[in-house]
Amino acid sequence: MSDAPEFQYDDIEPLPISGGQEGELCQIMYDGEYRTVMGIARALLQKLEFSERALHATSQAIDLVPAFYTMWNYRFQIVKALYGTDGAELNRELDWLDEFTLNNPKNYQIWSYRQALLRLHPSPEFQRELPILQSMIDDDTKNYHVWSYRRWCVLFFGDFTNELQFASSLIARDVYNNSAWCHRMFVLKNQVPKGPPAEALTGELHYTKKQIELAPQNISSWNYLRGLYDEFLDGKADPAIMEFALSFTPGIFAADASDTGPQIQSSYALEFLARAYAKNEDTFAQARKAYQALSDHFDPIRKNFWAYKIRSLTA
Amino acid sequence: MNTATAFLEACNELYITLKENAIPTAWRGARAGSSCESAVCACLVCVCVLSACTHCFPFTRALCSFGLVFRTNHLKKPPAPMAGSDLRTVRFINTQLLGRRRPTVELVSEDEHDLQEDPAIAMNSLSTETTADREEVLFDCAELYEALADVEPTLFKHAHRSYLDYALGHPLPPQMKALDASQPWLLYWTACALRLMDPQWLTQDVQRKMVHKLALCALDSGPYCGGFGQQAHLVCNYAAINALALCDNIDGCWASIKREGIYEWLLTLKMPGGGFRTGALLGECDSRSTYCALSVASMLGVLTPELCEGVEAFLLRCQTYEGGFGACPHEDEAHGGYTFCAAAGLAILGSLRKCDTAKLLDWCSARQTNEEKGLSGRSNKLVDGCYSYWVGAVAAILEAYGLGESIDKSQLREYILKCCQSKERPGLRDKPGKSPDYYHTAYVLMGLSATEYSFSVRDCPQRIQSARLVEQPDVEPVNPIFGLPIDVLARFVDYNAAR
Ligand SMILES: [Zn+2]
Repeated sequence: MSDAPEFQYDDIEPLPISGGQEGELCQIMYDGEYRTVMGIARALLQKLEFSERALHATSQAIDLVPAFYTMWNYRFQIVKALYGTDGAELNRELDWLDEFTLNNPKNYQIWSYRQALLRLHPSPEFQRELPILQSMIDDDTKNYHVWSYRRWCVLFFGDFTNELQFASSLIARDVYNNSAWCHRMFVLKNQVPKGPPAEALTGELHYTKKQIELAPQNISSWNYLRGLYDEFLDGKADPAIMEFALSFTPGIFAADASDTGPQIQSSYALEFLARAYAKNEDTFAQARKAYQALSDHFDPIRKNFWAYKIRSLTA
Repeated sequence: MNTATAFLEACNELYITLKENAIPTAWRGARAGSSCESAVCACLVCVCVLSACTHCFPFTRALCSFGLVFRTNHLKKPPAPMAGSDLRTVRFINTQLLGRRRPTVELVSEDEHDLQEDPAIAMNSLSTETTADREEVLFDCAELYEALADVEPTLFKHAHRSYLDYALGHPLPPQMKALDASQPWLLYWTACALRLMDPQWLTQDVQRKMVHKLALCALDSGPYCGGFGQQAHLVCNYAAINALALCDNIDGCWASIKREGIYEWLLTLKMPGGGFRTGALLGECDSRSTYCALSVASMLGVLTPELCEGVEAFLLRCQTYEGGFGACPHEDEAHGGYTFCAAAGLAILGSLRKCDTAKLLDWCSARQTNEEKGLSGRSNKLVDGCYSYWVGAVAAILEAYGLGESIDKSQLREYILKCCQSKERPGLRDKPGKSPDYYHTAYVLMGLSATEYSFSVRDCPQRIQSARLVEQPDVEPVNPIFGLPIDVLARFVDYNAAR
């Protein structure tokens, strides 16, 4: 901010920023700087001044308290009034926002403000959004708002080209990154309105199985596998996928499985099997056995839930 | 200048010094659990900035006689990895550092224990950021569970009360300005937390002051803002209405809520997709803001068909393949907070059964892990005390509607009582190693409430009933849809129905 032009606010009488009542509950002990910055910004807002100095006043206010939504609203009004739909000016505003975003990664307000700017922009570009998205995700690979904003962009620009590749790169970095797995489902459900073509789905199943083999005890990849079947294959597990899941739970369904149960590689594989078996009355016995093993050995904290699943088998 | 004013000046000055010089390096090191063994002077009630290394800020100790409670902690060296764990590598990650990459320090444990008893299957085939973060938490929790193995867990009620009373009895330190645009939330969190622990602890004096304060936060037309002189914001209205409900209609304050004005304003926030956004000009439109609109309208008795049009469909579209709900209806990741908002919102609409409740139950249940015993907010994310409410409440809602059992309440209660509080510091926290704050104090207590009762619903969501699960509950029963003590909600709803 050091190179920002000097703005004069001498003609502005800062407004009070608190009710000023004696004994007011939860009064924050504002420091002098905060009182001045917020007081000036409030005064400018009250007279609805849309000017460069007002814009600067909102930057200062937002810098001090990023969650101060009133100043974001005001800033948006100023930007609209000053720049209208001037692409170059709006790009400058996006530059400012990029910088601010990097310094305030957890902030809520940034993203809806950004959406509003892009809606205002005469020629918004997805390319311009990618670097900030990349850097934010690099820094915090599960940042909820950034992923959500990315999906909004993909739909806004109607451009799915980079998305599977992007999700794959993050899954390669951390196979347990559930946000990246969800992003794949987003692509599959939205890229083609009727759902993914058969070969794409086959490829996706293959990819998922490979990731499961890499790290079998991973709720994200197993949930995704189940999701693929539920969303695109009527929830019907085929013999091949049952075989795949069984390979992580050797011996569990053997008639003489001992009380302590054999070692398995993945409790999620067992869950996957239990769910599939529970869909058909003929395999209720296996489902019961799987739920019981989860309850007794592999995931005992969820015993109430497993008991509930066992009870619903007869219903 | 009297002593109180002098003290406030000193606080301000200290704050500014800290801000300008940034945090001293030695103190950072201490917080990271690495090298600094000097004493840390920490304020027991107002945390964050006033914690400082006594090397750098020897004068902080002089301040405590003015009402803030200071305490000197001698920092331990990083604890040696405990026996009884098969974690061979424990990583301490310094999350305080602001850098883009988080440096890690690795410690290799001396003894490898193969555990016969360990029921869970380790995520050990591949080490990633996710497993490293989790190992750190597993380690901290295991250490506490081991140390407190023979302790009958209790809630440190009086300590937490002092933490909450502090916020309601003193001006707040300057760094709390981060909450400047969320002032109704601070009132709701503190008042609700006090009242849950003991209905008498929220005094009439404080209730009167709350009413005053909230009047300062309101627009003339009715809606509430984040603070004096700000603009109306939907989630602040939720907090303000809940806070007012906690005031027991003191001095007839409920009559001053301008519900027609609030209703008209809510209508202006309705978006074409069926959701509500947080502000008339700008602001996010998601399951959270939509829940806040429904809760406010329902409590004020203005949940009209016009207001509800399209809302059910919007919320249903937020459910994901995992079973939980996300923020927006474009396959956002299932998340504890948004799942609460969507499920509670659907319950308010009478539409809970229209979502995939079996998958939702499954998702809730999968949030609880064997080692930590607490709940996480998303798949492969860390346990956090506040999800005891966000996810615990969804489990309670499903239970109330007869849609199945998902959580082991007694184990969750153990996580709350052993890992979310400490004797060193009042207030409740996210997880071991984190500082308490008002948000977590409120939601951890509300989550605790969900573990101490069972719930059933007779006719409508505002009339959920509770039955004790423990002989001596620590807290009052909370309505898991509205986030208020059951009796408080009932009185407020009755009042507005008769209005
Ligand atoms: Zn939390």
